[in-house]
Amino acid sequence: MSGLATPYLTLAAILFCIGLYGALSKKNAVIVLLSVELMLNAVNLNLVAFSKLGVHPGLTGQIFSLFTITVAAAEVAVGIAILIAYYRSRGTTNVNEMDSMKR
Amino acid sequence: MLGNIVAFLSSGANIAFFVCALLAIGGAVFMISFTKVVHMLLAMALTFLSLAGLYVLLEAEFVAVVQVLIYAGAVSIVMIFGIMMTRHRGDEVEPKRPLHSWLLGIGCLALFGIIFYAIQQTALPTGEFQAAGDNTMEIGKQLFTLHVIPFELMSVLLTVAFIGAIIVAKREED
Amino acid sequence: MVSAYSQYAWLIPLFPLLSFLILTAVGRQLRDAGAYISIVSVFVSFVLSLLVFWERLGGQVEDYTWNNLQWLRLGDVTLTMGFEVTNLNALMLVIVTLVSLLVNIYSSGYMHGDERINVFFAYISLFTFSMLGLVISANLLELYIFWELVGVCSFLLVGFWYFKPEARAAARKAFIVTRIGDVGLFIAILLLFWFMPNHALDFSSIHNAFSGGEMPAGLTTLIAILIFVGAIGKSGQFPLHTWLPDAMEGPTPISALIHAATMVAAGVYLVARTFDIFAASPAALGVVAFIGAFTAIFAATIGTAQNDIKRVLAYSTVSQLGYMMMALGIGTAAAMTAGIFHLFTHAFFKALLFLGAGSVIHAVHTQNIHEMGGLGGRMKITAWTFGIGALALSGIFPLSGFWSKDAILSEAYRHNQALFWIGLIAAFFTAFYMSRLFFLVFAGKPRSSAEAHESPMSMTLPLIVLAVLAVAAGFAFTPFNPWLGEWLVGHTEGEHANWLVIVLSNLVGLLGIGLGYLVYVKRTVPADAISSRAPWLYRLLERKFYIDELYQTVIVRPLQGLGHLLTLFDVYVVDGAVRLASYAATGLGRAGSRLQNGQVQTYGLATLLGLVILVLALAGRRFINFG
Repeated sequence: MSGLATPYLTLAAILFCIGLYGALSKKNAVIVLLSVELMLNAVNLNLVAFSKLGVHPGLTGQIFSLFTITVAAAEVAVGIAILIAYYRSRGTTNVNEMDSMKR
Repeated sequence: MLGNIVAFLSSGANIAFFVCALLAIGGAVFMISFTKVVHMLLAMALTFLSLAGLYVLLEAEFVAVVQVLIYAGAVSIVMIFGIMMTRHRGDEVEPKRPLHSWLLGIGCLALFGIIFYAIQQTALPTGEFQAAGDNTMEIGKQLFTLHVIPFELMSVLLTVAFIGAIIVAKREED
Repeated sequence: MVSAYSQYAWLIPLFPLLSFLILTAVGRQLRDAGAYISIVSVFVSFVLSLLVFWERLGGQVEDYTWNNLQWLRLGDVTLTMGFEVTNLNALMLVIVTLVSLLVNIYSSGYMHGDERINVFFAYISLFTFSMLGLVISANLLELYIFWELVGVCSFLLVGFWYFKPEARAAARKAFIVTRIGDVGLFIAILLLFWFMPNHALDFSSIHNAFSGGEMPAGLTTLIAILIFVGAIGKSGQFPLHTWLPDAMEGPTPISALIHAATMVAAGVYLVARTFDIFAASPAALGVVAFIGAFTAIFAATIGTAQNDIKRVLAYSTVSQLGYMMMALGIGTAAAMTAGIFHLFTHAFFKALLFLGAGSVIHAVHTQNIHEMGGLGGRMKITAWTFGIGALALSGIFPLSGFWSKDAILSEAYRHNQALFWIGLIAAFFTAFYMSRLFFLVFAGKPRSSAEAHESPMSMTLPLIVLAVLAVAAGFAFTPFNPWLGEWLVGHTEGEHANWLVIVLSNLVGLLGIGLGYLVYVKRTVPADAISSRAPWLYRLLERKFYIDELYQTVIVRPLQGLGHLLTLFDVYVVDGAVRLASYAATGLGRAGSRLQNGQVQTYGLATLLGLVILVLALAGRRFINFG
C-alpha cells in the first residue's frame, strides 16, 4: 500500500532519526546545532515531497518549506551567537558541561 | 526482487533519486561518525547538496536553489565561523555514557520503526501533481498574495534574529 | 395520682455530672473547694432521690416512663433515650446517692492532702453520674452506655494512684475482665434488637414480650445467659471474679463505692431489671442460681485465708453478690425481692466495713491484719461501727444482714434444698472470717509500734450513719412486716417466718464467730491447726484456688504469645511493606534527581523515550488491528 511519496518519506525518516541521534549524543554544541539542521531538512523534504506527491498537491508545501528554511537560518545565526557568548564566559562549548540548570 | 530493481533502475528519475538519497544518508552517517569537526561540517554540506538535488527531482527548483544558497552556503559558513571562534582540539572525544548511548540508539530505532510502519500503512495517492510551467513565478505570486502576512512576519523575524545575534555575540566590554 | 417528683427524676444524675464538669474544668484552681462541690451535688441528688422515693412510698403510683428523646434514626427504627422511675430504681437511686454521699464526705477526710484530690472528686462524681444514669435508663441501649461509663470510671479510680505498678495492673485487669462480660451483654442487646418486635429495647416492651411468652424458648435462654455474662463480669461472679480483689489497689473509699453501691450492684440490678427474660427461661435461672451459690461458698472459703484487710472484705463482697445472684436465680418474686433486699442492706454494711477498714488503714498505714491488733481501745468509734458491720454481715439477729440473708435462705429452703445448705455453709465461713478479721484487728495486743489514733470527724460521721442504717435497714422487710416485698413486686406474697431457717442461720453465724473467738482470742484452738495438718489446703485457699495463675497460663500467656507473633508480623510484614513503599519512593526520587542532571541531552532522551512509549501505548493497538 505504498504511493510514490513513500521513498521520499522513508528517506526523510532516516535523516530525521540520524539527526536526532546526533543532537542527543554529540558533545560539541556546534555539531548539535548541525544535527538540528539535519532534522529540519528532513522535515523540509517531507513538505516538498507532499507538495508534489501528496493527497492535496500544491505550491503551499514548497512555500512552507521556504519559511522553514528562513526560520532555520535565523535559528543558526542566533544559536551560534549564543554559543560564542557562552564560550566567552565559560571557555567551553561542551554540552556535557552545560548543566547550570541544575545548580 | 531482481525484476523490481531492474524496473526501478530503468527510469532515469529513479536512478537520480537513488544516488541523491544514498549521498544524503551517507553524508549524515559520516557526519555522525567523523571525529574532526570540520569533516563533519563538510559531510553535512554534502547532505544539504544532495537534498537540493532531490528538490529538483520533485520539481521544486526554487526551493532547491534556496537550499543550496542558505544551507550549503550561508549556514555552513556560519557554522565554520562558529567553530573557528570557539577553540577545538583536533579530535572530538565522545564522553563514555553507555547507558545513554544504548537508550538513545534504541529510542531512535524505535522512532524510525514507528514512522516507517506508519508510512507503510498510509494510503498515499499514486498520481502526480502537474506543476505549473514556471515554478519560481508561481511561488512569487503566492508569496505576495496569499502568504503575504507570513512573509512580512518572516522578514521581521529575520531582522530581529539579525540584531539579536549581533547583540548576543558582541563583546561585553565594547 | 400525679407523679410530681418522678417526672423530674432525670435531674438526679445531672448534679454529679455538673460537679464532674466543674471539677474537670476549673479543678486546679479550686484546691479545697472541690470536695464541697462534689458533696453538695450528690447531696442535692440524694434529696431529690428521697423525694422521688417518698412519693412512690405514698401509694400505688404508676411507673413513670419518658422515652421520647430521639437519639438515632436508622431507617424505620428510631433509637430513643429517656428515663423511667419504678419502685425498684427509686430504691436504687436512694441507695446509690446515699452511699455516694457518705463516701464523698468520708473521702474529704481520707484523701485530704492528696495532690490530685479534685481529680479524685471529679472521678467520683462521674462514677455517681454513670451509676445513676444506669439506674434510671429507660432502655437497654442507654443502660449499656452507662454500664460502660461505670466500667471506665472504675478503671480510672482503681488506677487512681497510677504511680503504683500494682494499681496500674489492677486497673487494667478490672477493665479487661469486665470487658469480657460486657461483650456478652452487648451480644444480648444485639439479639434483642434483632428479634424484639419493632426493635424495641425499652424495659416495658421487654416485659410485655417476654412475660407474654412471644419469644422462642431457646432464644430467651440464650439472651438471658448472655445478659448474665455481663452481670458476671460486673458483679464479680465466678469465673470473672478475679478483678474485684485486685481492685483493692484503689483508694479505700473507692473500694467502698465500688463494692457497696455502684459497680458491682450494677450486675445485680441488671438481672433484676431484666428479670422478665430470666423468668421466661428456667434453664437460665438455674445457671444464675448455680453460679451464685458456687461463687458464694467459693469466695467465702478464700476469704478465710487472706491476710489483707481489704482483700478479705473484697472476697466477702464476691460471696455476698453470689448470695444475691442465687436469690435471683431461685426465680420467685419473693426470692427476687430478697435478693434486692440483700443488695440494699449489703450496700450499707459493706460500705460501713470498707470505710471502717479505710479508717484503720489511715491510722496504722498497713493493710496486713497480722500487723494490726489492739486497735479497739484506741479507735473506739471505728471499732464499734466495724463490729456492727461485721455482725450484720455475719447475719446475726437482729441486724440488717440477718433479715436479708434469712429472706434468701428461707426462699432457698422452700424451693431448692441444695442451695439452702450451700448458703448455710457459706454463712458459716462468712461469720468465721469476719470474726477472724475483727479479732485480729481490734482485739489483743498491738503488734506494731505505729501510734494509731481515731480518724477525723469527716470519716467517723459516715461510719456512724452507716452503722445506724446497718442496724435499722433490716426492719424494712421482715417476715412479720413484708411491706417492702409488696411494694417492690406489687403483690402480696405469702411470707411467713420459717423458724428452722432463722434458728439455723443464727446458730451457724454464732458458731463461726465462736470459732473465730476461740482461735484468735482465747487461742484454745491453734491458728495453724489446719494449715499445719493440710498445708496444701491452706495454700490453695491463700492462693485463691490458683485461679489467677490458671488464667495466666491458659489465657494470658497464649494471648501474649499470639501478641508477640502478631508483633513480629507487624514488624516484618506490615512494616516491611511500608518500608518497601518508602524505599521505592525514595529510590524513585533519587533516580528522578539523577535524571535531573541539568543536561539537555538527557532530557531530550527522556522525551524521546516517553514519546516512543506513548505512541506504542496509544496507537500501537490501531496499527496491530490494521495488520
